[in-house]
Amino acid sequence: MGPILALASNTYREAIRNKVLYSIGIFALLVILVGNFLTDISLHNDKRVLFDVGIGLLSTFGLILAVFTGTSLIYKEIDRKTIYLILTKPVGRAQFLAGKMLGLTASVYLVLGLMFVLLVGQSLFMGTGAPPQLYKAALLILFEVFIVISITTLFSSFSTPFITGMLTLGIIVIGRLLPDLKQIILTKYQADAMRDLADRLLQVFPQLYLFVPNGHDFNGQYVSLTAEFVTWGYIGWTALYALVYSGIILMISAVIFRRRDLT
Amino acid sequence: MKTAKPAQSPLEIRDLVKSFRTGFLQSKKVTAVGGLSFSLEEGEIFGLLGPNGAGKTTTLKMITGLIFPDKGEVKIFGHPSAEVKARARIGFLPENPWFYDYLTAREFLRMAGGIFSLRGPALEKRINGLFDQLGIAHAADLPMRKYSKGMLQRAGLAQALINDPDLVIMDEPLSGLDPIGRRELREIILGLKARGKTVLFSSHILSDVEEICDRVAILARGRLREIGSVESLLDMGTNGAELEVGGDPERIGAIADTLALEWVRSMTGGRVIISADADTATVLRAFLDAELPILELKRHRRSLESIFVAQSEKAKKEA
Repeated sequence: MGPILALASNTYREAIRNKVLYSIGIFALLVILVGNFLTDISLHNDKRVLFDVGIGLLSTFGLILAVFTGTSLIYKEIDRKTIYLILTKPVGRAQFLAGKMLGLTASVYLVLGLMFVLLVGQSLFMGTGAPPQLYKAALLILFEVFIVISITTLFSSFSTPFITGMLTLGIIVIGRLLPDLKQIILTKYQADAMRDLADRLLQVFPQLYLFVPNGHDFNGQYVSLTAEFVTWGYIGWTALYALVYSGIILMISAVIFRRRDLT
Repeated sequence: MKTAKPAQSPLEIRDLVKSFRTGFLQSKKVTAVGGLSFSLEEGEIFGLLGPNGAGKTTTLKMITGLIFPDKGEVKIFGHPSAEVKARARIGFLPENPWFYDYLTAREFLRMAGGIFSLRGPALEKRINGLFDQLGIAHAADLPMRKYSKGMLQRAGLAQALINDPDLVIMDEPLSGLDPIGRRELREIILGLKARGKTVLFSSHILSDVEEICDRVAILARGRLREIGSVESLLDMGTNGAELEVGGDPERIGAIADTLALEWVRSMTGGRVIISADADTATVLRAFLDAELPILELKRHRRSLESIFVAQSEKAKKEA
């Protein structure tokens, strides 16, 4: 674990010193704006507006941070040749990727954590309280961000930041819209073989819609941040899914990166 | 009866081949290193010489596991270079090392030490010792983006030595340094040798190589052209001698003419060129018998530069 932790703490330091924390200021401003203006025009739905917009911003910022900081995660190391000083030491390439991924995750989590504290503070200030739903929704965001970071690590291990960014954004869109895409396929194709094939192909993509359970969850129960939300069991299940999926992605990244010539 | 285990060579390279694909469709294959073999002896300073494009950096990258050979093998203290543990006993300084701008040298060395699972007071002591040894203690806590080239080179060397490696590999460590920096680096390399470390470095600066290397290998177009001790390489080209004789130039000239040797007048008398096929002892005796003082006898030797240039030209012609 020594090399992984050393690399993770270095990546974390890089992200923090890259002024990523400035995004907190923007978020704080947005939260305050939401609190002061949107709730005023929400016709007694101030709690709902604050929670929905706050969690929505948290999710959006989390994905933006993950994609923008993750795209150049490996590319920059190779382009600036700093990787020469790392991989010539007794550290495996899989360990290198794991360290980079964990460091980036820690830095994005720090920013999201501070944003969440602001959101809770604003909720308490406005007298709406901070119910468990908020914490559950925030945890789901962290899990989704973890998966997205693993995907940027995968693409970053063999392509440029632009391609990594585009591919990751594409996967986020597909992952969020998977149920709709499945429905379209079922409607479009009548042949069972085609349906099976399309269904299997879609299973390769991360089920990111699991982390934004708005409206109906899988038991047909209505979920909302201001009413009933997902259970803790659901949270545990999605955490496991995120860990396993990200682990598989990391292994694929390691296989691709293992024999790459660093010229 | 127990027999002593033979010492493992710090580095063994056998039939190393590496080619790259170039061009828009990656259709053109360029061989960067073609069938390279050599090994290092423990405690020696080994210089890897060659013109640009000779394959020096490619070879060093294959040794350190940054790129993978198409064929052949590299063993570091008996371990294949692709294995992580092969890199536990080496330190590597790349050419023009790049660092993380946002880190100070101390932070970078802490990270480097962390990779070797070094930590705590032992690591801090090691870091401070390296800063003192390399003369950058005053800048240890400055971000490295503020460093000059010489300071970056020293910081690079510090990270290469953080694990007290038994084999230190450096790619063009002397390039870009001023004469004082070069001298200091030469002393550091000699200091490593004095502590029993093995040093392998590539360089263009032949005078430094000639001064500090025990053995050198000359590469050209990816192939090994010459290998051996510096002395043996220089002696291989011994080509006669020059004799500085004092006294009357007319008498010196007369004796030289008798022996069918070329000569020129000099400030002190005359300089006689002893050709390779002439017997030096006979020439010396002729001048001593004439009671002319012998001021200097200098062997003509090839310089490392002439060997380097000759091999580069030869490789170019062959290509």
